[in-house]
Amino acid sequence: MKKKYWRCFVCNDIHWGVRPPQICPTCGIVHAYVEISAREAKGILGPQAEPDFAVDDFRRAIAAFAETTEFKVNPDTERVDLLLSGIAANEQNHGLRYCPCRLRSKEFEEDLKIVCPCNFLIHETYKGVEKGECWCGLFIKR
Amino acid sequence: MGKLIMFHGRECPHCRAMMPLVDKLIAEGAAIEKLEVWHDEKNADLMRSYRPVITAKCGGQLRVPTFINPETSDAACGEMPYEKLKAWAQG
Repeated sequence: MKKKYWRCFVCNDIHWGVRPPQICPTCGIVHAYVEISAREAKGILGPQAEPDFAVDDFRRAIAAFAETTEFKVNPDTERVDLLLSGIAANEQNHGLRYCPCRLRSKEFEEDLKIVCPCNFLIHETYKGVEKGECWCGLFIKR
Repeated sequence: MGKLIMFHGRECPHCRAMMPLVDKLIAEGAAIEKLEVWHDEKNADLMRSYRPVITAKCGGQLRVPTFINPETSDAACGEMPYEKLKAWAQG
């Protein structure tokens, strides 16, 4: 299933997926998305994207991500700080927020699987494990 | 005991946890070369060259820390107790 770019014709929200959202999450309009080219999507996103997403922005984002889930951000702040510094370094040096506890293979599709947060719910360190955690320990079961 | 390689990441907590155990093993005479892979692309490429060996033993992924015996093409990965690491290193 090939993902495509979609644009809300009302507020210019951009979505990348197999199909468009039924309702635009920003303006709430129903059936608002039209398929567009990657060039158009990048043209819209480029100038508007935040120039920087600092470590504390990511810290806030993962806290919000884990707020209502069966897992939480590890309360071991020293470990979290170390991991976040590695994730930031990987984005700076290699383009994406790769997990510091694995290595990218240089195969793009494969390496998307290790961008933090990864889909750790299926990993053997988490699934079916009482005190499960993601591979690096950034997220742990509640 | 032949020469072994430890692939590790500078900001990987598992790697940090294993370092004192590896250093202890080195102090006891083991030849273990420690190669950082996220800040050294040459080391990363070397680790990638062992991909079939590593993924077979490490859940299908290139994980750190990973220990490699280049002579036997054996691999072990993740945190482990000292005795287990030592036993693996001794083959």
